Amino acid sequence: MKKLLIMLTPAAILFSAAPSATAQESQTSPSPTVGMAKGLSEWDKIYAVFSHPRCADCHVADDRPRWSGAHYGATFVHAFNVQRGTDGSGFGNPGLRCTTCHFSSNSKALHGPPGAEGWHLAPTEMAWFGKSSAEICAQIKDPARNGDRKLADIALHVRDDKLVAWGWAPGSDREPAPGSAEATYQAIENWMAAGSPCPMP
Amino acid sequence: MRLTVDGQSFDIDVDPDMPLLWALRDLVGKTGPKFGCGIAACGACTVHVDGQPVRSCSLPVGQVDGAVTTIEGIGTADRLHPVQQAWLEEQVAQCGYCQAGQIMSAVALLDEVADPSDADIDNAMGGNLCRCGTYPKIRSAIRKAAALKTAGL
Repeated sequence: MKKLLIMLTPAAILFSAAPSATAQESQTSPSPTVGMAKGLSEWDKIYAVFSHPRCADCHVADDRPRWSGAHYGATFVHAFNVQRGTDGSGFGNPGLRCTTCHFSSNSKALHGPPGAEGWHLAPTEMAWFGKSSAEICAQIKDPARNGDRKLADIALHVRDDKLVAWGWAPGSDREPAPGSAEATYQAIENWMAAGSPCPMP
Repeated sequence: MRLTVDGQSFDIDVDPDMPLLWALRDLVGKTGPKFGCGIAACGACTVHVDGQPVRSCSLPVGQVDGAVTTIEGIGTADRLHPVQQAWLEEQVAQCGYCQAGQIMSAVALLDEVADPSDADIDNAMGGNLCRCGTYPKIRSAIRKAAALKTAGL
C-alpha cells in the first residue's frame, strides 16, 4: 500500500502515459486521475509477477539464467555453464540444451530439475532481470523489447503460454509467482483499459 | 509401452513416472548409462533421445518421445565411435564412472559442431562432472574425435 501511495503522487501521475483510446472507450466516465490510479495499481500486480524470480530468472541480458529468490536465499548464476546458446535461440548450446535436463514436468526428486514444455530463455531484447518497475513497464510497451507484441498479445501470452504457466506451478518448495495466470491476464487487461500508465522512474 | 533403444524395440510394463535410467538398466538391460546424482546434476546418466542428450535419471520414461541411444549403441567392439576411439587414444578415463555420460555429450556436440572450439567444448560439457578431474584429457579427446570423425575414421 505504501508503494502504491508513493506512485500516486502528482509527479508520478504526470509522468504516466495519458489514457489511451482503449481506456477512454472501455470506461464509463472515470476521472483521468482515478483511471491513472487504477492503472498504476494494476501495473503493480503485473510488476510483482514479471519481476518475480520464477519469471525474471530466465529474462536475462547476459545469456546466463539465474537461480534466485527465497528458495535459493541469494542470487546465483545457473550452474553447469548453462547459456542461451551461441545461435541465440535461448535453448542452450549443442551438447547441453535446456531440454537436456528440463523436461515437460517438474522432477519429483528433491532438488531435481523443474520442467515445462519448451523450457528456454526469453530473447535478449526481452531481458528485465534486475530492472525497476518503471523500466520494465516502459519495456513492456515497446514492441522492440517485448517480442513485437501488442499489449493484448502480452496478456494472452501470460494467460495461455505453458512455460509462463509454470511460474505458478514451479514444484518442490520453489515459491510460485504471485496470483495466477488468469489474474495476471485480467490485471493486464485492466491496466490497458486504464491507459497502461507507468510509474515514475 | 514400447521403447526403442539402440535400434531395438522393447515392450516394457512400466510406471510412466519411472526415470528412463531405471527402465534402461533394470528392464532393458542397458547398464552402460550410470546412476550418479539422480537429479540431472552430474551427467553420468546421459543418453540421447532422437540424437539430443538427456539426463535419463530425471526423464520420466512416459515422456520419452523418440529413439533412445545409449553408450552401448554408438559403436561396436570392432568399430568404435570416433569419440570412443579418441577416449582410448587419449587415455581419458581414470575411475571411468562418468565416462559413458561424458562420451554421449561429446557425441551430441560433434553431431552438431564438426570442429568445435574450446569454448564450444566447455559449453557442451559443463553439465558432465568428473570427480577425477580428467577435464583436460576430455577436451583433448574431443578435439581428436573431431579430427577422426572429419577424416571418416
